[in-house]
Amino acid sequence: MKLVILSLALLSPLASAAQCTIDSQYMQASYKVSQQHEVDTAVHTQQFTLWRTLSQAAQQDEQLVEVWQQLSNQQLRPIRYFVQDKRGIEYQPSEVKAKQNFSSKQQLVSDELLAKMTLQSERGEGCDKVQKYSLKQADTTIEVSWVVNKKLLESMHITKPTGSQTIILQSVSFDKQTVQQQFAVWDNYQTTDYADIGDNESDPFLAKMINLGFIEHSAPGFYDTNGKTLKGGHHHSHH
Amino acid sequence: MKINKIATAIGFTLAISATVNAGVLPQSQVQSQWYESAQATLAQKQSQAQEEQLTKAKNVILFVGDGMGVSTLTAARILAGQRDGQLGEEGLLSFEEFPYSAQVKTYNVDAQTPDSAGTMTAMASGVKTDVGVIGVNENIERGDCTTVFGNELITTTELAEIKGLATGVVSTARITHATPAATYAKSADRNWEDVSDMPEGAVTAGCEDIASQLVNFEKNVEARFLGTDIDGIDVIMGGGRRHFLPKDAAFNSTDAVSSVEGDRTDERDLTAEWQANYPDGQYVMDKAGFEGISADTKQVLALFNESHMQYEADRENDIAGEPSLSEMTAKAIDILDNNEKGFFLTVESGRIDHAHHAGNAYNALNDTIEFAKAVQAAVDSTNPEETLILVTADHSHVFTIAGYPKRGNPILGKVVAVGSEEPSLASDGMPYTTLGYANGLGYRDLGDETDADAAYSEAPVVGRVDLSAIDTNSAGFHQEVTVPLGSETHAGEDISLHAKGPGAQLAQGVVEQNVIFHLVNQALELIEQ
Ligand SMILES: [Mg+2]
Ligand SMILES: [Zn+2]
Repeated sequence: MKLVILSLALLSPLASAAQCTIDSQYMQASYKVSQQHEVDTAVHTQQFTLWRTLSQAAQQDEQLVEVWQQLSNQQLRPIRYFVQDKRGIEYQPSEVKAKQNFSSKQQLVSDELLAKMTLQSERGEGCDKVQKYSLKQADTTIEVSWVVNKKLLESMHITKPTGSQTIILQSVSFDKQTVQQQFAVWDNYQTTDYADIGDNESDPFLAKMINLGFIEHSAPGFYDTNGKTLKGGHHHSHH
Repeated sequence: MKINKIATAIGFTLAISATVNAGVLPQSQVQSQWYESAQATLAQKQSQAQEEQLTKAKNVILFVGDGMGVSTLTAARILAGQRDGQLGEEGLLSFEEFPYSAQVKTYNVDAQTPDSAGTMTAMASGVKTDVGVIGVNENIERGDCTTVFGNELITTTELAEIKGLATGVVSTARITHATPAATYAKSADRNWEDVSDMPEGAVTAGCEDIASQLVNFEKNVEARFLGTDIDGIDVIMGGGRRHFLPKDAAFNSTDAVSSVEGDRTDERDLTAEWQANYPDGQYVMDKAGFEGISADTKQVLALFNESHMQYEADRENDIAGEPSLSEMTAKAIDILDNNEKGFFLTVESGRIDHAHHAGNAYNALNDTIEFAKAVQAAVDSTNPEETLILVTADHSHVFTIAGYPKRGNPILGKVVAVGSEEPSLASDGMPYTTLGYANGLGYRDLGDETDADAAYSEAPVVGRVDLSAIDTNSAGFHQEVTVPLGSETHAGEDISLHAKGPGAQLAQGVVEQNVIFHLVNQALELIEQ
């Protein structure tokens, strides 16, 4: 895969920005996330993979895959796949979730957040053109390295007084077939509507859901378009 | 012995006091609006008892509110009144004005707290059965296809078809979901909605998925009862398109939500098969198609959503649009009443249950209010002397109306005590809502979110939350719970049955749920005695 990318880069350094964007529509990108808290000097790291097609985006870690499908009416429809159980829970698209921008699912950084940020520098050309952005909001600083014509996040660094988080691209490929195959694998898992869970206590997988509830999965890179919520890693949701 | 003496003494006293003149009651009592209206109610009951008691009906409509327990009725009635500018408590939902009612025991043969499959099977066949199974008796082993054969039950819908009546099934849930399925299918598991939901062994053993049974209904009934010639279910409306289409994006409709709408792994397109069986029938999948159905249409298959139809409050968010339950009910009757012999129609509000499971009273009550509208639409478009209308639920939910809120206090609001303007505080110093659940996901405030199920994306919230600054009347508010569970559960207490029309007077007392079959059968004379 790397070879292909390399040759593409060699062949078309001057390819049009539009062509780069088209070539990067089907993507598999793996990221490493490092977190450091003020009180705890240890650095916590984890990996996840971002998958995307024209109308779908997925964030995958070892246990869980969260897929968002963009519908013809611009709503987003989430599905969660539990890899070990080979099962999925399908949610109804709803207007609140639709307000989450699809670009934030496909790119990890939404177009809205990028538009708010200040361009600091630029390097490279064509498909490899990288832009550095930054934004300071209250006590939070966000720095983004953005491969603009591939709509690809190269890195993101967030600093707050309480700690910091860094997301770095480890590898990326743009093989349409691989991406489509991966989405097809998940699509073949047995799925249940969230609305039907309550009536299925006899199903061991769903009974677990009924009794324990969902453990909220929050893969790194879940930012609202204001760049406000900067949660990271796995956690149980408490209010 | 002592008890007998006391009873005699009481009888003696009553005999004397029976001669007391009405004049002893103070004017303020007799002229009280409470007194007068209650007296009028009794007078109405007396004249009703004098009327000729019709027992035979041309048509029967069975309405089922899935999960619509008595507390749901009370709260929905108050909400409906308050939306109308009334205090709320004094009003009635349309079907609560029906002259007859009964209290219904809902347990399944193997379960104290039942589910929709067992309960609807009881109502449709006259036989209580196990939780989770459809149209088969208690000798079934849930999930074991081989135990179906010989244990099938015959339903009111089948009997009505055989009698030559028009039949219909309408639901806001998937039309293959437990409640509607129990009117037409036999299945060892409620979840066998299409072939991809079944274990391979069940398919090879000869069990047919629920969607396929709906499309093959005519053929199957004719095979089961040699010599019968029926014309199939005349009106089918609901959700569940995914179970009728092949798992192939080429079959996606313009209403598709999933990238591949269909779930079927046997390459069958049941909508096309249905159309081939009924060339004069009309298959529709959206609001526009629905509006295009004329009353003289012979047969209708309407599948408005790939899964359940939207909550009433959420209909606008559907891609291609959906009709309301009252619109579907009126349209179904328009078509079914073309049959001179009469009709049997089942109408389900399937998502009251889902909103409760999500711990969202707003949508449960809002869908109940729409359900009451649908019943009214049926009352308005049928002749009361020839149509028996039965309105019931399949089971209850752990939904409570609690505390001491004053009269007219917003039913979705926080408890404000009699004589007070400020919310009452619990011993933890925080206000609390009148409505609550004994278990479930618990508090969440999703603002103006009209999709109750959005709640499932987060873990249960245990116990109490400071609601001081929260608008608990909003569509997206989810009530607090005592026991944290990933989904709120059904409840085991009795539910109600409301009846109007010929044979309605037989709905009385505390009855087992399977009596409902006999009320329908009695009125329509489905089985010759
Ligand atoms: Mg139901
Ligand atoms: Zn239920």
